[in-house]
Amino acid sequence: MIELLFHITAFKSLPLGEVGGALTHIIILSTALFFIGMYGLFTRRNMITMLMSIELMLNSVNINFVAFNKYLYPDKMDGIFFSIFIIAIAAAEAAVAIAIIINLYRTHKSIDVDDVTDLKQ
Amino acid sequence: MVPVWLILIPLLTGLVSFGLQNAKAVKAWALFSTIISTTLIIAGIYFLNPSSLQFNATWLKLLGSNFSFKLDGMSKMLCLLTAASFLIIFIAINKNEYKNSKSFYALMLLMQAGFMGVFTATDALLFYFFWELALIPAYFLCSMWGGEKRIQVTFKFFVYTFAGSLIMLCGIIYLYFQTPNQTFSLESFYNLHLSNKQQYILFWLFFIAFAIKMPMFPFHTWQPDTYEQSSTGVTMALSGVMAKMGIFAVIRWVVPIFPEAVNHFSNIVIILSIIGIVYASLIAIRQDDIKRLIAYSSIAHISLMCAAIFSQNNTAMQGVLIQMFNHGIVVIGLWIVADAVEQQVGTRKLSELGGLAQKAPALAIFIVVLAFANVALPLASSFIGEFLMLSGLFQYNIIMAAIAGTTIILSSIYTLNMVQKIFYGNTVTLTEKAVDISGNIKIALTILVIIIIVLGVYPQPMFNLVK
Amino acid sequence: MPERAELGVMNAIIFSALIGVVMMLGGIVIKSNAGIKLLAIILLFILLGSHLAEYYDLFNIHIQTHGMLAKSRFGMFFNTIIISLTLLYVLLSGDEIVKVGTYGAEYFALIFFSLCGATILSSYNNLLMLFLGVEIMTIPLFVLTSSEKKNLKSNEAGLKYFLMGSFSTGILLMGIALYYGGTGLFAIEASKAANEAQQAFRILLPLGLLFIFISLSFKVSAAPFHFWTPDVYDGAPSVFTSFMATIVKTAGFIAFIKLFELRSVDMGYSWKILLPLIIILTLLAGNITAVFQQSVKRMLAYSSIAHAGFMLFALYNPNDFGKQGIMLYTVAYSLATIGTFAVLTKMKDYTYEGYNGLAKTKPVLAATNTIFILSLAGIPLTAGFFAKYYMLASALKESTSNLWLVIVAVLFAAVSVYYYFRVIQAMYFKDGNAETTEIKPFFKTLLIIIAALIIVIGLMPSLLLDLFYA
Repeated sequence: MIELLFHITAFKSLPLGEVGGALTHIIILSTALFFIGMYGLFTRRNMITMLMSIELMLNSVNINFVAFNKYLYPDKMDGIFFSIFIIAIAAAEAAVAIAIIINLYRTHKSIDVDDVTDLKQ
Repeated sequence: MVPVWLILIPLLTGLVSFGLQNAKAVKAWALFSTIISTTLIIAGIYFLNPSSLQFNATWLKLLGSNFSFKLDGMSKMLCLLTAASFLIIFIAINKNEYKNSKSFYALMLLMQAGFMGVFTATDALLFYFFWELALIPAYFLCSMWGGEKRIQVTFKFFVYTFAGSLIMLCGIIYLYFQTPNQTFSLESFYNLHLSNKQQYILFWLFFIAFAIKMPMFPFHTWQPDTYEQSSTGVTMALSGVMAKMGIFAVIRWVVPIFPEAVNHFSNIVIILSIIGIVYASLIAIRQDDIKRLIAYSSIAHISLMCAAIFSQNNTAMQGVLIQMFNHGIVVIGLWIVADAVEQQVGTRKLSELGGLAQKAPALAIFIVVLAFANVALPLASSFIGEFLMLSGLFQYNIIMAAIAGTTIILSSIYTLNMVQKIFYGNTVTLTEKAVDISGNIKIALTILVIIIIVLGVYPQPMFNLVK
Repeated sequence: MPERAELGVMNAIIFSALIGVVMMLGGIVIKSNAGIKLLAIILLFILLGSHLAEYYDLFNIHIQTHGMLAKSRFGMFFNTIIISLTLLYVLLSGDEIVKVGTYGAEYFALIFFSLCGATILSSYNNLLMLFLGVEIMTIPLFVLTSSEKKNLKSNEAGLKYFLMGSFSTGILLMGIALYYGGTGLFAIEASKAANEAQQAFRILLPLGLLFIFISLSFKVSAAPFHFWTPDVYDGAPSVFTSFMATIVKTAGFIAFIKLFELRSVDMGYSWKILLPLIIILTLLAGNITAVFQQSVKRMLAYSSIAHAGFMLFALYNPNDFGKQGIMLYTVAYSLATIGTFAVLTKMKDYTYEGYNGLAKTKPVLAATNTIFILSLAGIPLTAGFFAKYYMLASALKESTSNLWLVIVAVLFAAVSVYYYFRVIQAMYFKDGNAETTEIKPFFKTLLIIIAALIIVIGLMPSLLLDLFYA
């Protein structure tokens, strides 16, 4: 842990140059998006909004991949391909999620997670 | 091959008994099995070639654990005790009816197999296996037959001993990685050179498991409840044989492996044991229930043995070795009497009993002999053992020996008090209709009394055996 | 087998995906439940056969994967185990699976797809495949969990599973992104040269690994990321809980171990503090909460968390003992769990009281269930003992200073006896009239076979481990 903190604090003082500067901005953006998504997932009670929050998290990761690929490892396309995979999988997940939500809505007439609390004991 | 057969006979006969339907057949079958075991162990001691008393076969090559058994002096004696005890138990409870008796006898035999394994195994992992194998049937036996509260009480007993043995397992694995070529064999454990710090930690890992099993103060709380609630046949096996497992294990698996730690902690252990002796004796005096009284008396006697082991001299050790056998015999006798009384009269409360001697004179004669043995009067077998243990303790520390010596006075108080309250005085309504004990109990008690008197007068065979 | 690392997709991956499709299409043609079950069993035998054919070098589909997948004895052996376990599971609970809803064939197809994900996880060599494996394994489970359409509990469990699953996927992806940022590679054996070339961003690597670690902890339900487990396991139809708690969970562990066996160095000293802490928390959360449960199904859910705590020992100490141990644990724990869940699905009442007097009404069920429970509790003579034994030994082999951790773990094992033995008490010592659904002789025979397997492995674990080395 301590070591990790040390790494993070050392991040600022790196000799990154111009490329690093641009990348830092993008990382800050994607990190912000990631945590906005996480926050949304934990605070929102509407299932559709929660699904959107998850998408937000996944997309922030996509930004990361593309940025790392472009600025740090431009000779190969690894990161970009990975983000395509993420998009595909996210679509599959969303399909399943919406199916579950619709099914819940049919039986329950609500898409608020607070109404779905049978399992709490 | 003898030790293997000693385990296999009860194991196989036990498994077969699950399949038998007729209650009488099961009883005869169990009796038959124990007669063979007893004959085998006696033959093993006196007649068979010593090389047949060892057995070695590979088992878990990857782990360095082997099927290795050996009958040395102490093992011989305890196997004899086990086989004889089960024989006597099966004779004594022959007339008792148990629901689902095939499972009862099957589990008893499986438990016997576990005991035999514990006493003969010379491989730590194998020892641990049998240590648990003895426990599982005991759990089922105590939970299925017995008093009202048996399920909770047995559960406490089980969790206690299981936790203890798991801690021992940690110690075993630790020692395993210390051995040069990574084996579990007893000899390689004996040859280990452990630093003092290691010994101090490992000593407790092992000792707690054994102290729970004995049981020793302050780990004894499960014992009176379990002995009281279990059906008497099971209690006989638990107190006659299982309690000896703890003492045996300390002598074999603790004292030679951790000599420094034994030396270092001997004071603490002896003090705890002495507290156990006095405390259990005082409680025994106050007991109204016969079974609880015998249970506490058993704690006192076992604690004395434990104290004697840790006084670390030969006199005391000799005493412990032969007392293990004698105590087993005496305590089984006491349980048989307690069971007979309960069967006759329907209560175990001393305050509700009296004058049984007029109705059951034979039982009264037996109980008097057993009581003398329990008090350790001269000419009864226990005398030699207790005398040696106390004199060994005396060499270690006079004050401790003096306090421990009160056990003789205290035990005579509660034992004789019990005999007097049950058998003498005027008959009360409950004892009016009592009749004398049946033939099978007479046989069982006669065997016990003969052993007690013979070994009391002429203990030399025992000394030869454990030498 | 390093020389084969470059070419090899395993037969198991391809076949499991293909037979999933066949199963799904078969559902259109075959209408009867018995027929569907039979088809599933036949397909599973084909899968097992194709896998064994590769195992013994008889027949193998060669595909150039450019090192994204790698064959290893470890992975192959694990695949053999999980495919056999799935077969056993389908044989045992096939009837219950088709009864869950109206789409019998689809349930089997989803199980096959999930199995495909599990086989990828045992052979991945690249974080992309890790991600795909995890997703292929879990997405079908979201559907299976919520497959009782009319049952609100099942739907809720599915939703919860989805939310937690995709949340942890998000974290996993963030971790992979940072890992990529740090090394420029997705291969788990990222070379040192690549690290040195981009020294500047090397610092992202430990952070990325921490994210991946958290995410995989979610998947294997290690505390403090375990809270979804009891609700999902409780809400899902019992047959599918059995699948999730065994095959899926152990596959998660294999993925976990594969990655961190190589990369734990990168997390530095914090690794040595972090993992014991998580192990203890997991054991604590699983065991203590399980004590207070009234429903056997929920108790088993918590106990699966407790077992995760033991399995984490293999992650903490990936030495010989740890690696053999996780195999043994997979087999021992899965056999016992599949068995005890199979009995559970036959019960009309899932509470402890529902088991009262089972020994009188159904002696075979009670006796075999006792063996499963004893194995879960880790009593000697059952496979569960050696599973736990190997885990403890792995820790003590790594360093004797782990003694304290081992002692804590066995104390929790002693606690686990408390809730496991309540089932035995109910079955044997309490009076009652336990009600079950109809039980076929074949089902009983299978239970006896599983119980016998548990005891044989408990006596001779080398029989299984020799296969590993053969």
